[in-house]
Amino acid sequence: MRDLRRQNRAARRRARHRKGSLRQRKGVLAVLSASALLLPGLARAQEERWSVDYGYSLYSEDNIDSSKLLAGSAQRYEIDTHQLSMRGPLTGRLDFGLDIVQEAMTGATPWFIEPDAQGKPMVVMTGASIEDTRTDFLGHGTYYLDTARLNFASGYSTEDDYQATNFSFGTEHDFNEKNTTLSWGAGLSLDTLDPTPTATNADPSQEDKRTISLFTGLSQVIDRSSTFQATFSYQNGSGFLSDPYKLVTIGGTHPADSRPDSRNQFAIGGRYRRHFERVMGTLHADYRFFIDDWSIQSHTVELAWYQSVFELFTIVPSVRYYTQSQADFYGPYFVTSPGEYASSDYRLSPFGALSEKLRIETRVSDWPFHMAWKLGASYERYQSSGSLAIQNVDVENPGLVSFNVFMLNLSARF
Amino acid sequence: MRSDSLTVLLLGSVLLATACAAVKPWERDQLARPEMAWDPDPLEAAQRSHIHFSREASIGGGDAGGGGCGCN
Repeated sequence: MRDLRRQNRAARRRARHRKGSLRQRKGVLAVLSASALLLPGLARAQEERWSVDYGYSLYSEDNIDSSKLLAGSAQRYEIDTHQLSMRGPLTGRLDFGLDIVQEAMTGATPWFIEPDAQGKPMVVMTGASIEDTRTDFLGHGTYYLDTARLNFASGYSTEDDYQATNFSFGTEHDFNEKNTTLSWGAGLSLDTLDPTPTATNADPSQEDKRTISLFTGLSQVIDRSSTFQATFSYQNGSGFLSDPYKLVTIGGTHPADSRPDSRNQFAIGGRYRRHFERVMGTLHADYRFFIDDWSIQSHTVELAWYQSVFELFTIVPSVRYYTQSQADFYGPYFVTSPGEYASSDYRLSPFGALSEKLRIETRVSDWPFHMAWKLGASYERYQSSGSLAIQNVDVENPGLVSFNVFMLNLSARF
Repeated sequence: MRSDSLTVLLLGSVLLATACAAVKPWERDQLARPEMAWDPDPLEAAQRSHIHFSREASIGGGDAGGGGCGCN
């Protein structure tokens, strides 16, 4: 009974915030119930309307510091990305969606690392000439059964020197009055690399890479205001896993980056969501532990707070921390040969990264054109360094990256 | 160590699942809020995970997918 009164009070409070016509309230409800579909713990129901989402992102890496640069261009990567996504019901039980991504990249990237007279590692960058465009198509569908969903997807991604075709399939089952959802999925990606000729490799060969991934997850409604999800994923990469555009320094010589032709990766993750009705705020807490057989381990923690302001705006500050250990065949440079494999890629080096992000969004239902709209903008600052790692890093890779990302997205529901 | 933490996680999840009283459909007003979704903004989440994946050595934890590299 007390619960009922509390519910009524909450409903009246929400109704006051939403002053407006009945049509408008219906619109809000439609948006609310439609987004509930995205909640696995809530037993996703079929889309009732078609929606179109557009996203733009500008990714810009900081110039490399002159104290770490030996030669080449200081100006690092800039990527412009457009995303377009459409989805909606095809038949009574089948949804279909199409996602298109287009990226244009320009700038320089670390080529190899050379010690200076004191033995301090210095980066040699490529020239600023790299320019590439990536286009990615992904078609996906969901077939709805009473307490289960079947998901399938297939995609194709192409850039000047890289082609990838992928397939995936998975299911979600609801149990326990739809309070528990168990999901699993499997995916396959077949990639082909056609490296562009460089000064040191005039005629690079075409290479292949295959990735198999398996995924399982359990989503649980804990109570009226919180949910939890645990996930486990496994990936196996095989074939050409080296970077065709990087060299290593071994006692003054510069052979190509060379990595094992197989990699097994495991990740365990947990995600927690809790809504605080009194302050109209929602907490997101995510954690992931990762380990692979190149002896890399990493931890990722992300916290976000979604603050609703009179149901007009949502302001979302968030922070992400990441730390990883190095691959066993990694070194900034080598004095003697480390064996069969060697890489100086900063991605395989030991480091930590901290990023802060702020997002603001607003929702308008039923206007203009009788559609439900959502407009959001965000800014993220990402910084990585050896000193941010959880463990002690003796020699920091001078190629570690810091960047800004600005994103804008607009979505419309018909 | 890997299989230990997995066992703990799975056991914990099962315990959690059975310990929770079922929340009825009419009690889900808060759970249905858009910001309670795992990824309230799927496009932004996809773009971010692509960026992090191409600058770090790790992958997985969410439902990873999609193709291509853009890794230079």
